[in-house]
Amino acid sequence: MSKYSLKICHLYPDLLNLYGDRGNILALSYRAGLRDIDTEIVALSMGQSFEKDQYDIVFFGGGQDAEQKMIRRDLVTVKGEAVKEAVEEGMVFLCICGGYQMMGHYYQEQDGEKIDCLGALNVYTEARKQRFIGNTEYRCELPINDPIIYGFENHSGRTYLGDNVRPLAKVVYGKGNNGEDGTEGAVYKNVIASYSHGSLLPKNPELCDYILTLALKRRFGEDFTLKPADNQFEEIARKEFDSCKK
Amino acid sequence: MRSFRVGFALIIAGGIRLSLRLLGKGATALPGKIAVKIAPRFIREMASGCDIITVTGTNGKTTTTHMISESLRKSGYYVATNVSGANLSSGIATTFAQELRPVRRAVSKGLKPVYVLEIDEAAFAKVAGDLSPKVCVVTNLFRDQLDRFGELLYTRDCIEKGLDMTDALILLNADDSMIAALRKNRESRTEFYGVDERSMTRNNVTDTVASRALPASSDAEYCLSCKRKYEYGARSFGHFGTYSCSSCGDTRQEPQQSVYFDPTKSSSDPGLPLVFQGKDYSVEGVLPIPGSHNIYNAAAAFAACTSFGKIIGDPKLSPIQVAAALSEVQPAFGRMEKIRVGDKSFCILLVKNPVGLDRALSMVASASDADGMYLLLNSNIADGTDVSWIWDVDFESKTMPDKLYVSGERFGDMLLRLIYSGVDTNQLRYASMSEAFVLFEEALSACEPGKCLYVLPNYTSMLALRKFLVGKYRLKDFWR
Repeated sequence: MSKYSLKICHLYPDLLNLYGDRGNILALSYRAGLRDIDTEIVALSMGQSFEKDQYDIVFFGGGQDAEQKMIRRDLVTVKGEAVKEAVEEGMVFLCICGGYQMMGHYYQEQDGEKIDCLGALNVYTEARKQRFIGNTEYRCELPINDPIIYGFENHSGRTYLGDNVRPLAKVVYGKGNNGEDGTEGAVYKNVIASYSHGSLLPKNPELCDYILTLALKRRFGEDFTLKPADNQFEEIARKEFDSCKK
Repeated sequence: MRSFRVGFALIIAGGIRLSLRLLGKGATALPGKIAVKIAPRFIREMASGCDIITVTGTNGKTTTTHMISESLRKSGYYVATNVSGANLSSGIATTFAQELRPVRRAVSKGLKPVYVLEIDEAAFAKVAGDLSPKVCVVTNLFRDQLDRFGELLYTRDCIEKGLDMTDALILLNADDSMIAALRKNRESRTEFYGVDERSMTRNNVTDTVASRALPASSDAEYCLSCKRKYEYGARSFGHFGTYSCSSCGDTRQEPQQSVYFDPTKSSSDPGLPLVFQGKDYSVEGVLPIPGSHNIYNAAAAFAACTSFGKIIGDPKLSPIQVAAALSEVQPAFGRMEKIRVGDKSFCILLVKNPVGLDRALSMVASASDADGMYLLLNSNIADGTDVSWIWDVDFESKTMPDKLYVSGERFGDMLLRLIYSGVDTNQLRYASMSEAFVLFEEALSACEPGKCLYVLPNYTSMLALRKFLVGKYRLKDFWR
């Protein structure tokens, strides 16, 4: 047993299990392990309540439309208030694609129907016919050494940011939030949201470490620092991706 | 009577095929594409009066088609099938153009012709009506290159649309809840095949702690009509099993034809004994191609052959004869074919999507002759440009061979996938795609005598590897 451990909550892993988003959990767990930090992964699905004092990092991924419809209700009615409180209190969240959209106020379908979402993030999403699909490169606005983040986007929703929400990154290649304003993802308190699959964190180890650090400081105090890790293979993957992304 | 247009299209298609072949090209799709351009009714007219069996679904199409074809050949049929797996309408049209003369010749020799066609799910919606098949086999529904095909329910809608344009007997996989749901409104012409419940185990029995912490991604944990989580009596793999929904009562249908095997025996090594069971028979055979997914393909092929025999009234396609023929089938191109090189061998397993890779890893993990595994990952259009799916595969619960090799245009992604699953980096050798063949040679020479190097490429990396191997080891080229 290590002195340090983190509890990662994986929201609806049995329904939102697409596009390799579970790779983000594997990355958090692997890179914590490199620093002798234990991780415990808690799966939280339909009908189970969100215990907001229990977790250090919450992961919320994307799914297919049918599955996302199933969850929206559960998210709003069963977990809603607790998740919102946790966000306000600074719990660390990573939300990808569908998870990102569902944290916002609403999702408007192509036929105009508005589906209420959680409203924990001041963003909203409108569906469009054309899907944004392809490799992406972004310049991350968070304080990390190598700001370039790589991923793969696949979404028909266009997300627009409201007050108090900063973009996670500027688009270098790809479409990002809406294909119009050059922004990608969102940051609010300790919530980090993005459209990037890929998986996002394995190929962006600095972002992964940034998220781990946020959670560790919150749990073990501001003085906590993460030991550096050897990123040799991550660098190989990044270089390889950069050479064939377009 | 064939229309003038179709006759003209045939001549042009023949000409294109000949020219492409002279140039050393495969000519698997272009002749048919042009033929359909010239004569939009090309497929309908060519298929008219033919006996046709179709195979669709996300995984196992090629192997199932191959198993049906080979079994029917052994039973005295002349089988026309897709030219090297080209399964869009262009490939189907090419097949008809190309098979015209061979079929005539076969008939004059007294052979009965039959078309066994694998059809892409989206293409199935468009061409099934033109084909008016006798039997439609639907294998399964797993996520597959979502950036190309969109979501799973869309895929199922395509299959549904195609089925409704035929009056064929429909053979569905009983163990796949999403496929079995296609019976609704088609009950009178639907039959099921599947695995005997006694041969299933609970999923994840041998899984390690790591994978229990993060279970593998499944495609159908919940009942889609009432959103209740399925309860399973037993499972085989993925979302296959004896599911039931406590809310709407939807439950796995008892298959008319099922396969029994001893679940304690490995399906990775050759010769797993199978028992094919029906209402009034039970016959023995063996699994012709290793791998647990191939048990389903064999069950589908068995059901297709015996049902087809019943429809056209051929006593030679009795359960006992089909089981015997099926047991002798050899693997198809890139699907578990084992190639001997001196005192060792290599085996290629094409992996295109999460369940395919999951099954291949599981097969290598329990193959007693495995001494090395070589993964190749490309991301061209034909592969799907998104490689995220490798993270959906449960590497964590699989025992890896000691020697691991990685290449392909996206070798970096696969490298990270292996490392993040806990593989020791000292076990790993990797190379970019331009050096993939050098690495192959290295891997083969490091393989112990009597052992086998398992090669798991995705689609375009397999084509490249195959091309290299054809030259190097004088393998038969795939379109010949």
